Parts: sequence; structure tokens; C-alpha cells
Amino acid sequence: MKRITILVLVAAILLIAACGPTSTPAATQAPAAGGTVSGAITIWNGYHSGDNEEKALNQLLDGAKKQFPDAKITVLEVPFEQLFAKFETEAGSGGGPDMFIAPNDSLGTEVRGNLLAPLDDMLKGKLDSFSKLSIEGVTVGGKIYAVPMIPKALAMYYNKTTVTAAPKTTDELLAAVKSGKKVGVPNSAYHTFGWWRAFGGSLMDASGKCVADTNGTADAFTYVLSLKTAGAQIRADGDLDTLYRAGNLDIYFNGPWVLGGNEDALGKDKVGVAPMPKGPKGDAGPLTGIDGWYVNANSKNKGGAVALALYLASKDAQTVYANVAGDPAARTDVTPSNANVKAFADAANAGFARPQTAEFGNFWTPFGDAATKIFEGKSTPADAIKSACDAMNKANKK
Amino acid sequence: MATMPIARPETPNAKRQHSNSRLANPYVYLIPAMLIMSVMTYYPMAYGLWMSFTDYALKNLRIDSPPPNFVGLQNFIDIATGALTIPNFDFAYTVAFNLFWTFSNVTVHVIIGVLIAVLLNARGLWFRGVYRAIFVLPIVIPTLVVANVWRNMFDPDFGAINQGLAALGGLIGMPASAFHIRWIESLDPPIPFLPLPLAYFALLITNVWLGWPFMTIVATGALQSIPRDYYEAASMDGASPTQQFFGITVPLLRPAMVPAIVYGITLTFNLFNLIYFVSGGGPLRQTEILVTTAFRLVNQERLYGIAAAFAVYTAIILLVITLITNRVSRATESYDA
Repeated sequence: MKRITILVLVAAILLIAACGPTSTPAATQAPAAGGTVSGAITIWNGYHSGDNEEKALNQLLDGAKKQFPDAKITVLEVPFEQLFAKFETEAGSGGGPDMFIAPNDSLGTEVRGNLLAPLDDMLKGKLDSFSKLSIEGVTVGGKIYAVPMIPKALAMYYNKTTVTAAPKTTDELLAAVKSGKKVGVPNSAYHTFGWWRAFGGSLMDASGKCVADTNGTADAFTYVLSLKTAGAQIRADGDLDTLYRAGNLDIYFNGPWVLGGNEDALGKDKVGVAPMPKGPKGDAGPLTGIDGWYVNANSKNKGGAVALALYLASKDAQTVYANVAGDPAARTDVTPSNANVKAFADAANAGFARPQTAEFGNFWTPFGDAATKIFEGKSTPADAIKSACDAMNKANKK
Repeated sequence: MATMPIARPETPNAKRQHSNSRLANPYVYLIPAMLIMSVMTYYPMAYGLWMSFTDYALKNLRIDSPPPNFVGLQNFIDIATGALTIPNFDFAYTVAFNLFWTFSNVTVHVIIGVLIAVLLNARGLWFRGVYRAIFVLPIVIPTLVVANVWRNMFDPDFGAINQGLAALGGLIGMPASAFHIRWIESLDPPIPFLPLPLAYFALLITNVWLGWPFMTIVATGALQSIPRDYYEAASMDGASPTQQFFGITVPLLRPAMVPAIVYGITLTFNLFNLIYFVSGGGPLRQTEILVTTAFRLVNQERLYGIAAAFAVYTAIILLVITLITNRVSRATESYDA
């Protein structure tokens, strides 16, 4: 009986010990931001294995490891679609990486969840060479939460062998479809947003209330439908990437993240990039997201993480990103060797800065559904936008 | 001279101690398992139940963050009335679809499974062992792999299903474009009076491929225990093969098949992997089931309190199904073969 009791107690102690918190190794010394990188730093990224962004990052990290031998840098690749959920869950329970690179999709949500470290003090005077747009993109409530890296927005890809002059206006694009050019338009909420401003559409007013049903948003969808009627393909962006790379599309719309893949598949000399066409009400307004290096509020080595982020966002490093990965730079002093990268940088600078408000979080589902209903012929653009706006306002209690 | 040891009678105290220790022993042995279960199962369940009555969200996730607000039954009311931040969310539809999905799948599994078991049980069948080995393959392949392979097979442009149909159609002069079927994306219900998208049928095909072998294995075992004398006697009495099947085979299969059906119902009701990776719950969440919806509430919306309430609803529905199926099972326990 005694033995059994002792065994039970030992088992219980072992169990409690196993469930105890794990400690993160602290940095041996906290380096000054922008200075020497030291201590243990864990990085997460959502890049795809073997893609050009991963190549660029690995190249830079090899350099960092040589330059900062005291630093112990560990890299973990997380599937992009799981990156935010994984970070939020782990950071919420006191863990997670020291830093991660991602677009500002969940920035507002994560700031409101107190999961990210504000970096203003550590970045004072160190972001002078960065564009205003990129700094605004990583700022919430007047505080900076990331070292900006890459501004990303949609632009128009075209095949230089079949398209001599890229369409500059929506009318020219429609005429191109009618003349037999093979055009693809992605159908997601994110991708279709770029057309709105060209037709006088906008999403929210200053109070965060959805007003897309009171302006030209439905006209934008009506136009995209007219492209479909004329013969354009309205499909998932991944499908269109495949078609373009196989030479089966003359024109389509996507972001800089597929530039490397497109150039590798079709040939650098054949890939052309131009801004989305102007509409009757002005320039198109694709959502501009900013990829940046975010620092976990739980990090025991924030100084080291910021120093490494600044190293990875230096002029030389962003030049590597631009030339290897085809990513536009957040810095204004980087000149990419590839004209297509420059075109994407221009597209991002002319785009519509992605809002970081809580209200914007309720944009994706209703407007994704609206796009599906419109393109599947289940709803008119006006009705679909009206019900999407109603759903968004209901969710936001507006 | 050898002496026999004399057993001394136990005193009442010693007797009591002995019986107490005998009574206590099972509980002592259970303590380690109970400790582990308490930490791994009961505590999370209780915590989840508590969460369902709060507005727990991302802001409350950090250990040092303020506790969530108690909202009583509001989460349950919001779910039932569709007052969530998910447009087109319809709890009644999701429950109805989940139940229809479950019972339609299990019905097809059982019918196909039993029929194939009967065929495999036929006398003089060559390569019986080979067939059984091949048919068991879907069970041993991970569901995640199966889901991804089938998802690719349903691709409208490059999928094996459309290409196979186009090849067959080509034999009778039909153009390949006639078989550009958008299995997952199409919103048009293929059967006008049944408000279900084509994606449901894609999922059904996939899950039937995945599910019938289990029923075949169970039915095969049960079939082999039915004495041949019954069939011979029935033949002599002039019973047709159909009469023999419904008069002998079906009643004697029931005791084995009912637990398998109960297991199949529970498994299919919560078949997350297949739904999530083949259709993603689409189009427009028309093929979402309760567990995939709960997952989205956590993973996309970060509405932990509402997701917990959703899980409570799911548990209640499963409890009702289990009670009903248990009742059916008990009815068969007294079956006298």
C-alpha cells in the first residue's frame, strides 16, 4: 500500500513537472538596437520552401551568422495560412518566436491583443530611409510595431510576346478581351478590392461604417462581370498563376510574391508588369500591405531581435530581397535592378493603405461571399454589395 | 512428526482492515489515470464550459491579460439566432446538413459494405484474399492524404475525375468541354429539389470510397459466423436467394453491424479532415459541419467564447445521437440468434 502511494505521488510530481512552463533562454546581453546582434533569437517566416523569398532570407541570415557569431539564430518555417493563428496562440500563452516576418494582415488584431512589442524607442532615428507609407503600414494607435520590409500591392502582369502595350484604362482592357486577348481576373475579396477606387468605390467612412453600397463599388463588380462576359477568366489567383506561367494568359492580376515564379516559368524577358488600369473615376486602388519584422511582446531578447530586424532591413539586405526575391523595398534608397520590381514598388505606393481598424477585420468574409455570388451569377452586384455591407455593419454594430 | 500449521481466526479489527484495503485498492490503482485524465481531459472540458459563458477573445489570451466578461447565455443565443460576425451563418442549416451528411454517408457505407461482403463470401470465388487486401487500403491511408488526393482529383481543369469523364465521353463523341465540372466551386444544386451543392456529392464520393471497406470487414466477419445449414434448410423449404438474404443474412448481421454503424455515425458526424481539406466548407459554407465551423470560429475569427459555446452545442447534439443509438444497440443486445 505504501509503495503504491509513493508511486502515485512520484507520478503526480512528474506530471506536474511536465506541465510546468518552459523558460526561454535569455540573451547573454541585450545589444543596442541597430548594433550588434547577440543572444538567442528565434525567427518565424511564412515563406514557401524553395521560393525566392526564402532564398533571399537564407542568404542574409548566413551573412548575419558570420557577422554576429555570438548570436544563436534559429529559423522556423510556418505555413503562411497558419502563421497568424499559430503566433497568436503561442504568444498568447507566453511563448512564440522572438520575431517573425509577415504582411500587416493581423497587425491591428495582434496589437489589440497585446501580443506585439511597440518598437518606437528602439527605432528612434533608424527609419529615416524608409517610405512614409511603409512606416504608416506598421503603425497602430501612433506606435510602430515592426521594422518595415516590403510594400506589396496588386499590379497587372502581361506577356510581352503577345501584348505590345499594356492596357492603361479599363476601357482598353475590355477592348483587349473583346479582341481575343486571354485575360484572367482573380475572384477573391482581396484581389477585387483593387477595382473599387477606379469606379468611385470605397469601403468605410471615418467612423468605420461600411458605405460600399452607397458608391461605385457595385459598378466595379459590374465592370469585372463585363470582362467575364467578353471572355475573361474569373478564377482563383493560383489557377491564373498556372495559366500565365504556361503561356495561356496574356494579362492577369496578382502581387509581387509570384514575380519570381512567373519570371522563372515564363522567362524574365517575357514578363511585364504595369499598374492596374485606370477607371472612369480615377486610378485603381489595390490594398497595399506592408511586410515587416514584428517582435513578440514575450521576447526575452527584444534588443537582439530589433538589431537583427534592422540588419535584415538594411539597404544592402533590401537590395538582396529586391533582386533575389523580386520584392519591392520599404526603403527609398534601394534601386532594384529589375524593372518589374520597380513597377510593383510604384503600384504599392499608389495603392490604398490597408486599414488596421477592428472594423476592417469584418470585411473579408462578407465581401468574399459577395464576389462569389456575383461571379457565380447568383446575385446582382448591387444586391451582393448591399448584403455584404449590411453583414459587415451588423458584425461591427454600426 | 510433521505438524500442520493452524490458521488463527482473524480478529474483527484485522478483518475490517483487510476488507477496507481490498475496497480501497481499485481506487489507488485508478488514481494515476484519474490524475492524467483530470489534467488532459476534465480540466480542459470544464474550462471550455466556463469559456462558453464569457466573451473570451484574443484580448484575453495572454496569461497576464484581464479576465473575460461573463455574458451568461448570450453566446448560445447569438449562435442560435445567427447574430454572429459570420455572414450567411445559419446554425439550423449547419446542424441539418451535419445530420444529413452523417446519415446519408453511413447509409451508403452500410449498403455497399454489406453487398461487397456478401459477394466476397460467395463460394468458389477466386483471389478472395487479394480482394480483401486491396479493399482494406482506404482504411490504412491517412485521411489527410486521401482528402488532398481527392481534392486534386476534383480539380476542374487538371483533375482525374473530369479527365476520365471526358475520355469516356469522347468515346461517344461528346466534347471535353462538356465535362468541365466545377465540383467544389459550383453553387448550382445538381438535383433541383435537394438544396445541396455539387461539393456535397464530391465529399460523399470521397467518403464512400473511404468508409465502405470498414463496413465490409465487419460484415465479412459476421457472415462467416452464419452456419451454412440455415441456408441449406431454407433452400429445401423453397426460399429464394433474396428471401434467404432478408430472412437469414440481414437479421444475423445486425448484432455485428449496429455497433459498427454507431461508430460510423460518430466518426462521420465529426469528420473534420475530409470536409476541411476537400471542400473547405464551401461554396459559401454550404458544406460546413459543426466541427469545421467551430474550428473557423477559433482559427479565423478568434471568438474563443463563442467557439466554446458552439462546442457545447455540438456535444449536446452528439449526446442525443449517442443516447438514441445506444437505445437501438440495447434493443439488439437481447437479440436471440
